[in-house]
Amino acid sequence: MQRHLMQSTSSSTPSLRLNNLLSRLYDQPALSRKHAILSFLYMLSQQSHPSSSRSTITHPSTASTRRNGPSPFNPSLDLPFTSGAGHRGTNGVPPRADPVADGGVKSKAALLRAYRERIGKAQVPMNVLLRDAIYLLQGISGHCVRFVSITTDTMEKEDQIEFVDTPEGTMPPPTRVLLHRLAELGHLHRLITAFLDERSLSPSVGLVEQSLHHELRFQLTEYHKLIALLESHASRSKAGDDGGGLTLMRMEAWVGEWKLKLRLMSVLVEGSKNAHGGMLISLIHAHTKNGDPFIRDFSTQILEQVSKPFFTSLQAWLFSGSLSDPFGEFFVAPGKRNGGASDRPERDEVEGGISADEIDADFRGDIHRTWQEKWTFRAEMMPSFLNEMFGRKVYSTGRSLNFIRYNCHDAEWVAKQASDWTSKSLKYSDIAGLEQSIDAAYKVASNRLFESFFVKYRLIDHLQALKAYLLCGYGDFHDLLMDSLSPLLAKPANALYRHTLTTRLLDAIKGSNAQYDPPDVLRRLDARMLEYSHGEIGWDVFTLEYKVDPPIDTVIDPDAINSYLKLFNHLWKMRRVEGSLGAAWGRVNGGSRSVGRVPELYKDWHQVRIVMAEMIHFIRQMHAWCHREVIGAAWKDLMEFAHKQEGDLDAVIEAHNKYLSRMVRKVLLHDSKRGHENNLANVREIFNIILQFLESTEDFWRHTTHEAHIRDRERDQARGVYTALSLNARGSPSTDDALAGILSRTKEYSAKFSHQVGNLVISLSSHSDLDIRFLAVSLTGFGAFYSARRETSRG
Amino acid sequence: MPREIITVQIGQCGNQMGSVFWQRLCAEHGISKDGTLEEWATEGGDRKDVFFYQADDEHYIPRAILMDLEPRVINNILTGPYASLYNPENIYTSKDGSGAGNNWAQGHQSGEKIYEDIFEMMDREAEGSDSLEAFMVMHSIAGGTGSGLGSFVLERLNDKYPKKLVQTYSVFPNNEELSDVVVQPYNSILTLKRLVNHADSVVVLDNAALTRIAGDRLNANFPSYDQTNQIVSTVMSASTTTLRYPGYMNNDLVGIIASLIPTPRCHFLMSSYTPFTSENVDKAKSIRKTTVLDVMRRLLQPKNRLVSTVPSKDSCYISILNIIQGDVDPTDVHQSLLRIRERQLANFIPWGPASIQVALAKKSPYISSSHRVSGLMLANHTSIASLFRRTLDQYDRLRKRNAFLEQYKKFKTFENGLEEFDDSRAVVEELVQEYKACESADYISYVRISSVQVGDAFC
Repeated sequence: MQRHLMQSTSSSTPSLRLNNLLSRLYDQPALSRKHAILSFLYMLSQQSHPSSSRSTITHPSTASTRRNGPSPFNPSLDLPFTSGAGHRGTNGVPPRADPVADGGVKSKAALLRAYRERIGKAQVPMNVLLRDAIYLLQGISGHCVRFVSITTDTMEKEDQIEFVDTPEGTMPPPTRVLLHRLAELGHLHRLITAFLDERSLSPSVGLVEQSLHHELRFQLTEYHKLIALLESHASRSKAGDDGGGLTLMRMEAWVGEWKLKLRLMSVLVEGSKNAHGGMLISLIHAHTKNGDPFIRDFSTQILEQVSKPFFTSLQAWLFSGSLSDPFGEFFVAPGKRNGGASDRPERDEVEGGISADEIDADFRGDIHRTWQEKWTFRAEMMPSFLNEMFGRKVYSTGRSLNFIRYNCHDAEWVAKQASDWTSKSLKYSDIAGLEQSIDAAYKVASNRLFESFFVKYRLIDHLQALKAYLLCGYGDFHDLLMDSLSPLLAKPANALYRHTLTTRLLDAIKGSNAQYDPPDVLRRLDARMLEYSHGEIGWDVFTLEYKVDPPIDTVIDPDAINSYLKLFNHLWKMRRVEGSLGAAWGRVNGGSRSVGRVPELYKDWHQVRIVMAEMIHFIRQMHAWCHREVIGAAWKDLMEFAHKQEGDLDAVIEAHNKYLSRMVRKVLLHDSKRGHENNLANVREIFNIILQFLESTEDFWRHTTHEAHIRDRERDQARGVYTALSLNARGSPSTDDALAGILSRTKEYSAKFSHQVGNLVISLSSHSDLDIRFLAVSLTGFGAFYSARRETSRG
Repeated sequence: MPREIITVQIGQCGNQMGSVFWQRLCAEHGISKDGTLEEWATEGGDRKDVFFYQADDEHYIPRAILMDLEPRVINNILTGPYASLYNPENIYTSKDGSGAGNNWAQGHQSGEKIYEDIFEMMDREAEGSDSLEAFMVMHSIAGGTGSGLGSFVLERLNDKYPKKLVQTYSVFPNNEELSDVVVQPYNSILTLKRLVNHADSVVVLDNAALTRIAGDRLNANFPSYDQTNQIVSTVMSASTTTLRYPGYMNNDLVGIIASLIPTPRCHFLMSSYTPFTSENVDKAKSIRKTTVLDVMRRLLQPKNRLVSTVPSKDSCYISILNIIQGDVDPTDVHQSLLRIRERQLANFIPWGPASIQVALAKKSPYISSSHRVSGLMLANHTSIASLFRRTLDQYDRLRKRNAFLEQYKKFKTFENGLEEFDDSRAVVEELVQEYKACESADYISYVRISSVQVGDAFC
């Protein structure tokens, strides 16, 4: 058809101009209605012959308005009317009927009308169309255009428009396109109002959404105002003249802006079905980053309004640590133990509005877990205009305040703090100020919490006490306790009485520098037995205990106490072995005079002493390493942290956990690679061997002194001194056998000890932890004693 | 229930040392010259009751027994500023004030005569303590009273308190120079035998080294007794720091000694201290910097030892305990130990594992010091035998000539012969041999010459 037309017009004179018009037409989207357009153009070209001069004048003006025309978002309402003159007759747009187009030369519109009448296609009058268009804009079916709901394949209802043929005439396709475009607004309007009608009565709508509703309604009202304006124009245009009248085209230009707004609103509406609270805010915020400044501004405007409830919650949380969030829209929610934050949004209004105080009363978890479990952070509810870091700070600040109020019983301070802050209002438009406020509030709250813990609750004192008592830092106290308990602890566990233990504990405190500790620390110290099973003796089950109260137990929780007890158990054993070795050394070395009187045992004693020296070296190196390299170094780091006082309670808890786990890992020689029990079991075995060795040494000692006594007596008898007691004859087979037994036991334990220590040193020297490797070095000493011995034993 | 230590200061030298030692302890614990606690001494953390007892709420009294056979030094103490510090009942001076005439035998025999008096004091003090751990004897081994009476006290302490540790701070004569006491080698040998047999640990303080250190460190060519005594008292107070300021370890003497002395006879310890500053010794040179590594390295240098020995190429440490005082980062200790180990700055015995033990100790809060870290080393080193060897040589020279023996024969011990000399010499000779044996890996199967003990008349 196109070709035919081209051919038919090619011979005519103004074909060039028509080509020009055509080429412009190709740019237009309305290619589906080619026939109409081309027919119209054909008519135009026919008409152009007699009035070529006039057409040449018209065209530049057309071109100029076309340049002005396509700015439908011109904010000035009057502009389309003042510049509207050129609209008439632009290609592809059917001009409305022009009743005054008579006179010398027929206007193009008149020509068109005439053409239409000729082909028998009367047009729907413009006033009807305009009225319909206004209806359409409001989502109401009009006279010749109506909305129908159809059900799509996916069973979703969808609006479509339907053109109804009316007796007044038909609508040309371009009009339909225009109406179609206008109908989009109606469709969006319907969506939004439907949403508003449906949701506004629902009890589960959160505050954020409620304010979104409010904002939407406000915007719709504005929209209605525009429609009213249009309507008045439309009614005027019925009687109006060609220049000031309203056309569909103009109408589209007028509402173009609103189309974008409504689109955005409908997106929000759509989004708010799935998003809730903070998520919704994030959703809106996503649009504020649009490259289009119009959308950016509009969504910012909406966000400003919508985020108000969020900022109210934020203010309450940030400045007074209370959660006022009846619909679970905030990014902080009560912890799991408060009875399900997740189902809160679905609750009805009646029970939904749980106030912060109820939550506080509600918390039934372990008190020491309050800090960790009372609240949860919901990252998905974080409005995206705050970054995660600030969100965490906000979370922490509120948590701190809440903790100060309910767990540190310092409500007064929080209240005062909150009142200090009230002058500060938080809003979306002032993000920089918001971040400043968050930083400031965070600092204040964290400092206060630090102060509460370090000053009011004397956290350092407690940590120091734990180090002194459970990590055996008070040497004099532990020595004393060990001395007085040793005979008791050798008994079966079930023969021990707790009150005896506590009495000894008090004696040890009184007799040592522990007595200068504050009464509050000493009051918490207790001695007791662990759960014991049959056959265990006191040494296995004795433990010291240090009790902590809330809120300190947030940092030093039962798990931590458990770790401390484990460490105590090990260090106490180590201390026992060291003490026993010291006592044995005192007897064996200090009492060398008696040994001296039995010369044939010199050599055995010498060897016993050398093994004992090796044991003393072992235990002292290990003991010193535990205290200096592990506990001392860990403590130093902890104190550095405490000195800086940075971060919130989480940081304190983490620092303490790090401190403790580092000690547990190293003192108990855990190995991440291999079964870590091996080394510890090995060390415990060595402890046992030492104790057994000391027992047999004791026997050896008794035997030797006995022997020495006999010899003394014999000497006395030789000098004629009377001896009252009859003693076993010297060198009787029984004592010789006993001696042989004792010596073989001693040798056995010595050998075992050397073997085990050698193994331990080798195992430790390939340990992944450098400190533990250093222990291997310390145990070996400055020479290469163990490796050298291993080599000689191999060779 | 502290583990109390009773100090026994014997003779001129012992009492001078003791006097300075107590002044220092008072300063460290904030105790005034009359035994009352200074008002500012509130920091605590210390155990005064190891060395002091409280007569009443206000007065701290040293667990000290002062004895001398001539009254001069003790009189000086009693007319000095610290006169009222001591319990007057714990002071014994000979009534005739004749002294011991630089004669071991005379001092020893006087002991027999005044036994009742001096052990009445000992027993009273021992009963006054809850769990007495040790006696700490201060004396010199060259003169008459410190050596003779000191030997007597050592013997009797052993009999009466066999389970208590006996530690001595024994000043050895400067045997590099000629002494005014010609019989010094005799006295030394006789006392050394008692130190071997009746003491659990002997901290050897060598007058030659003290003079040298005083000269080097303090810029004094002719150091006063006060200065050398200040050096000694600094060492003594440092070596008892862990007892007086309890920490996680080394809170009793037995723990410290047990780790230093593996076999009972090799119990002669040498000590080093650094830095000596004007806070502990008058007119000390200033020391620029003291890091832990500096301190630990200097402690190993022979010139800082309070004993002058002549090490052989086989000489080695049997054990070392460093007591580091001050503001010490545990990781510094770690690094220092590694460095010293890498550079092999210390040789140890081949027959067992041995290392530098490090005890971190508090510093008295009442004594300000310009240096951050100070350190004491107590070490058991085989080269100490060279000191005994020298004494033996000097003794042998004298003995060969049978010089000055007459004045010894006047006394009971030597009435019937000079076996006691021979016996003592054998004991010291055996000690030298044992130290020598310590340098070899065969020490494990070392066998003593058993004949020595037989003639022991005092056991």
